[in-house]
Amino acid sequence: MKTRKTLLILALFLSLIPFGVPTQAQDQPETVTITLAAYAVPREAYEDIIPAFQAYWKEKTGQTVIVQESYQASGAQSRAVAGGFEADIVALSVESDVTRLVDAGLITHDWKANYNGFVTNSVVILATREGNPLEIEDWDDLAGDVEVITPDPATSGGAQWNILAAYGAARRGFVEGYAVDDEGATEFLTKLLKHVVVFDRDGRESILTFEYGIGDVAITYENEIFAGEAAGNTYSVIYPTSTILIENPIAVVDAYVDEHGTREVAEAFVVFAQSAEAQRIFVKNGFRPVNKEVMAEVAADEELAAKFPEIEDLFTIEEFGGWSVVRKELFGDEGRFTGLIAEVAGE
Amino acid sequence: MREIGPKNPLQILLILLVLAYAAALIIAPIYAISDGAIERGWQPIKDTLQDDGVQHALRITFEFSIIATLLNTVFGVIIAWVLARQRFYGRTLVNALVDIPFVFSPVIAGYTMIVLFGRNGWLEPTTFAIVFAYPGIILAKTFVALPFVSREVGPVLESLPIEPEEAAYTLGASRWSTFWQIVMPGIWVGVIYGVVLTLARSLGEFGAVAVVSGGIEGKTETATMYVYRALHDRNRIGAYSISLVLGAVSVLILLVMSLLKWRLDRQRG
Amino acid sequence: MTVKTLNKGGLWDRPFSFPAIAWGKWSLRLLAVSYLFLLIAVPIIVVSYKGFEHGLTVFWESINNRIAYSALKLSLRTAATAAVINTIMGTLTAYVLVKYRFPGKAIFNAFIDLPFALPTLVTGVMLVLLYGPQTIVGSFIEENTGHRILFAPPGIMLALLFVGYPFVIRTVQPVLMQLDLNQEEAAQTLGASNWETFWRIIFPAIRPAIIAGALLSFARGLGEFGSIIIVAGNIPMKSQTATVYIYTKVESGNMQAASGISLVLLAVAFTITVSIDFLRGRKHA
Repeated sequence: MKTRKTLLILALFLSLIPFGVPTQAQDQPETVTITLAAYAVPREAYEDIIPAFQAYWKEKTGQTVIVQESYQASGAQSRAVAGGFEADIVALSVESDVTRLVDAGLITHDWKANYNGFVTNSVVILATREGNPLEIEDWDDLAGDVEVITPDPATSGGAQWNILAAYGAARRGFVEGYAVDDEGATEFLTKLLKHVVVFDRDGRESILTFEYGIGDVAITYENEIFAGEAAGNTYSVIYPTSTILIENPIAVVDAYVDEHGTREVAEAFVVFAQSAEAQRIFVKNGFRPVNKEVMAEVAADEELAAKFPEIEDLFTIEEFGGWSVVRKELFGDEGRFTGLIAEVAGE
Repeated sequence: MREIGPKNPLQILLILLVLAYAAALIIAPIYAISDGAIERGWQPIKDTLQDDGVQHALRITFEFSIIATLLNTVFGVIIAWVLARQRFYGRTLVNALVDIPFVFSPVIAGYTMIVLFGRNGWLEPTTFAIVFAYPGIILAKTFVALPFVSREVGPVLESLPIEPEEAAYTLGASRWSTFWQIVMPGIWVGVIYGVVLTLARSLGEFGAVAVVSGGIEGKTETATMYVYRALHDRNRIGAYSISLVLGAVSVLILLVMSLLKWRLDRQRG
Repeated sequence: MTVKTLNKGGLWDRPFSFPAIAWGKWSLRLLAVSYLFLLIAVPIIVVSYKGFEHGLTVFWESINNRIAYSALKLSLRTAATAAVINTIMGTLTAYVLVKYRFPGKAIFNAFIDLPFALPTLVTGVMLVLLYGPQTIVGSFIEENTGHRILFAPPGIMLALLFVGYPFVIRTVQPVLMQLDLNQEEAAQTLGASNWETFWRIIFPAIRPAIIAGALLSFARGLGEFGSIIIVAGNIPMKSQTATVYIYTKVESGNMQAASGISLVLLAVAFTITVSIDFLRGRKHA
């Protein structure tokens, strides 16, 4: 009696299971499915870009494209793809996360052929409480008596931009009171790091912490401010005199598109993401375009141009010899900045 | 132990102390989430629950958690039995293994599965995918919630007198019916709490699942991954309402199982 | 007393005169051990391999540095403190739940498991909303004591108290319910006070359950990640716990170091469980 009842309950539970089995009936030639593995921040932009691409592809070939989307932190996404997550396209936050896939033998083509492999740009900026009560004007104020929020450069590739922006600005002579060389810049960075109160996992979490009321100033990205303001938050944004240009890569994953037979549509997606139509959507979401045509449009439109002010001294990752050097010599386990953070923490 | 009404002020004070502690620890946060979830009324919650991706996420989360719970319940009772009633070489080692899933960093647990079953992994499957697919999610949930049933049932088994079992068996009852008639009624409460804790833990698991699932919306994204994404997207209502759904389900399961126990007790008289 | 049964054979553990029973005993044991082997021992093997992949020296370097050491210390300290508080409050709660009738008890009992079902990330955010510097509680404490709760060790403690609360309750409660009431009543009829009855009769019976619950709570505290990552500041040597440190190493691509620290955490938990098991075994002998 009791046994039968237990079996009944068991059968009831098990009967639920078949619903979970995936229905993959997408083998008709009219439908093609691709998987996009992206970092979390540009999700809103892709939500508009994907329908536009589907319409474009339908008109061009008659095929219906289903785009499966996954959004996770850039590094986690890159490791997942390297570990067997079969994404056809990766759109990540930093170049080194794509390089990992090149090293793993998954990306074999010259992914830097168009626009150097990038799909969006942004800049590192500072956000303070509304009205800027502490009158923070530029990088040098971050070495004063303020609480600073920035993500952890050890976990977030994107966070490394922040450290590089501060360090680079000092080394290029745009932070007053420090020698214009590696030593002076290191001295400034050390002072700045002492004021960091929270090292969050990634850029978004960092600005969320700031929104929860922690800290006086957040080192963040221009596009984060757009997203935050769209959600009803207010900050005072400070554009430093000197800062770094953030470049976000996109690439087709050769090994997986060849396995899925989706190379054509995946490559078309990447080209589309860099086209004027998609780039305008990115601009709407707070990213700076890589497409020349859209760049010109932004510059010509007074209202838009005001949202993306020109930076007096804008430098790129090449300032430090590119990501491969930066990853190893500055942020690696034996890297200078890793050591610096440990040293500051140990005091 | 017999239930009594509190008789003196000291006992009432004790009850109040416990209630106050629980209120500060649990009720206040729950209130905070509920408040956050309904801050713009019911419509946004309804919209969240009607979203296809959310529904799919909830469905796979429940189904896979139930599978994980079933596995862990059957094996958990066996493990508890073996540890409580058998003496053998290496028992201490086996006993110590049971708690490991708690100390195992979930991120590392997920990563371990990729080393085993991922691309170029030690045991890379050839016919169907394990990681970044459904089996990986089930495995992750099973792993993190493994200890509960055995740890709940173990102490109860140890506190049960062994004579009735032996008597029943000697009198000719089969092992199976001895277990159901004599042992099961004694350990029921332990099993119930074990099942509820297992289910709750598998529902709420995030770290390991996030590493092995790939998080494709509408496919391998679980409810907790949705919550994480919603928090990131500043969609607090979405995050809180789905969390509350997960919490409500485990409360419900506990009530249903308590009812089941009550009926069983009554049947036995 | 009932505790004695621990060392005695049970239903499936009888002498050789019943060959069928021996078969049952062995098959159960085999099932239990192989389940644990597949699900737990295999991952441990993988982590050990990864931890020692580059040799002993590298392993030692990865765990023998100030940051790893202080992260480990912070984890142990907060997990142990939280486990102690959870054990005391949990035992009390279980006792009150089983012993006394009071209005709303059924509902209270059902809500106790909630900390588990809530995704730990949400737990973290909730704590921020409750105790953050913008809230009444958070700002009150910060202004009056000069200490910040969140993004500091007290925040970690709060998170661990929350996620570990159900453990002791749920292990002690079923044993209390099974407790032989004759003994309790006999003791009280003989004039023993409540307090004496508790220490003499009830406590010895629920001790194994309390220990099991305390261990679970401690282990869970050591391994907790989701909520901590939100409420801890992740500042190395100040508010970075071992699991967060592990995560940091995984993210920065250093799997060897991540595995190394994981092994240390596992070893600590393993040692504690084994030694408690050993102590209990000796008591019964």
